[in-house]
Amino acid sequence: MSRTRLTQLLPVIAVVVFMISVPGWAGDYWTRILTGVCMWAGLAMAWNVLGGYGGYISFGHAAFFGIGAYATALLMQPERHWNFFLTLPVGVAAAAIVAAILGWPTLKLRGAYFAIATWALAEAIAQLATVASFTGGSSGLTIPVFQSTTWFFYAMLIAALIAYVICFVLLERSRFGYKIRAVRDNEPAARAVGIDTTRVKIQAFVLSAVIPAVFGGIFAYWITFMNPQSVLSADITDQMVVMALIGGLGTMWGPAIGAAALYILNRQFVAWFGDTTSYIALVGALVALVVLFLPDGLVSLWPGTRRLRLVRQLLPRPRSGRA
Amino acid sequence: MTLFFQTLVNGILVGGLYVTISIGFSLAFGVLDVVDFAVGEWVMLGAFAGVAVESWTNVDPFAALPVVFIVFAAAGALIAPLIHRVRRSRYARPALMALAFTFGLATLARGTMLTAVGFDPRTVHTRFATGTLSIAGLEIPWLRLAGFIFAMLATGLFMAFLYMTRTGLAVRATAQSQENAALMGVDVKRISTLVYSIYAGLTGMAGVLIGSIYAITAQDGPQYALLAFFVVVLGGLGSVAGVLVAGLILGVLQAMVTIYIGPSYTLAVVFGVLFATLLVSPRGILRRGAAV
Repeated sequence: MSRTRLTQLLPVIAVVVFMISVPGWAGDYWTRILTGVCMWAGLAMAWNVLGGYGGYISFGHAAFFGIGAYATALLMQPERHWNFFLTLPVGVAAAAIVAAILGWPTLKLRGAYFAIATWALAEAIAQLATVASFTGGSSGLTIPVFQSTTWFFYAMLIAALIAYVICFVLLERSRFGYKIRAVRDNEPAARAVGIDTTRVKIQAFVLSAVIPAVFGGIFAYWITFMNPQSVLSADITDQMVVMALIGGLGTMWGPAIGAAALYILNRQFVAWFGDTTSYIALVGALVALVVLFLPDGLVSLWPGTRRLRLVRQLLPRPRSGRA
Repeated sequence: MTLFFQTLVNGILVGGLYVTISIGFSLAFGVLDVVDFAVGEWVMLGAFAGVAVESWTNVDPFAALPVVFIVFAAAGALIAPLIHRVRRSRYARPALMALAFTFGLATLARGTMLTAVGFDPRTVHTRFATGTLSIAGLEIPWLRLAGFIFAMLATGLFMAFLYMTRTGLAVRATAQSQENAALMGVDVKRISTLVYSIYAGLTGMAGVLIGSIYAITAQDGPQYALLAFFVVVLGGLGSVAGVLVAGLILGVLQAMVTIYIGPSYTLAVVFGVLFATLLVSPRGILRRGAAV
């Protein structure tokens, strides 16, 4: 292993060791917050697969989170009484099937049309879950209670680590990563060099759908009570989008940094003001400012990367740029 | 049968308001080349402007509509150059960044209003249109009729501007092709600002009217955004005739589903139809819109 690879690995090892040690020294409150950070880092990464690496902005990813949550909740009802770990593959399979079937026609749409279609789809699913009887409607479902802060922390941490390793291998260390970025940067050119773009896009969509399903399942078990508002609402999608965007689109560290910064901020707002309405306003302002001044996200502030872009953005430009 | 026609009329009357929102939205979409995710927030802010006028002054909200238009148009004129700047920037993916930018603005507006007024539903009250009009066994609330007439007037004025003035010609040219319009001497940035501010003003006014018909909360914005998307997608991007037809279809569809299937299914059906339309015919039902 060369020295450069070691210096690249050190921060990863440091973060992992830090996270593993958390339940040992942190209190209940902070362990719960970091459990949420792990979950949102995984969700933001999942969204980033399609949004950051694939260039397709989905506003419907809460649907897959909800599918995973409902799969776990429905199968763990007293009359079925499944083991929790057996419910996760079912949620994953359901999310993968939905993503593959709906992704094929939806991914033919481009840009804003894709965003609108996924949003409409997720809202339709949320509305159906509200009126259907097997989901318990708007009153929701209750799951047998299992309370262990440490257990859920490690569950979320392991799920997030696995999600990151899979995404890293597939996006940064395999041909698939090059293919999906080629699709993002120039789809006709990607097709011209022989990439089956439809297949690559569907693969990316399925990958970015199964990860939220796993987190949805763990989340349902964690909070023990769920309804369409808590697992299918557009707020969940919005959080994924915003965390990936503020952290840095199309990067490995971006979603994790965005998730950590925003989720901790979110919890602090609850602690200070008792609600998150002012947090929503702040996030909106942050998104607008990041787009204007820091389009590569917080990761671009890292030393040695393109952080000078912030400064350059603020200076008057010699000529108006053409896109 | 009376119920059917009553539902039809109710749907058309509400559909007129959707037309007003969507016509500006569709044009701003064409000229700026950005889907404005804040469209629902303009509606919501318009409704709350009506509530504010009513509670702070003794002026009837409907009489204050011109003031609402001016204030919202001014706000739009401030925001439009920023959107234009992001869309025309040298970022790797300017279209997606512009989308994210309007999404950020929408989130900012929603969060600010939720902080300011909370989650309680509000209604705009007016003294101008009360009671109902009875024609051929149909009961038509004056309020809805007044809203429809006003929406049609505003839309008609806007269409006259588009089709009968030189500036309107420049707007239509820019919506078709920014490059070619710029080559013909159109100041694209100024046209974008103009269209966006007219659109913001129209949508704010429609918000006051919607607030007088339905109770509205500070978190309703995204729902109205989806309705505007529905109209623009169904009508076909950039097609004014398509917007007129699709807006009325949306109003009628909503009313019919509410009466004959049940109110809780309304949004599921609307979003389902929107999704299906995008897949089957992305150029709109009249097939007049721009290709996706």
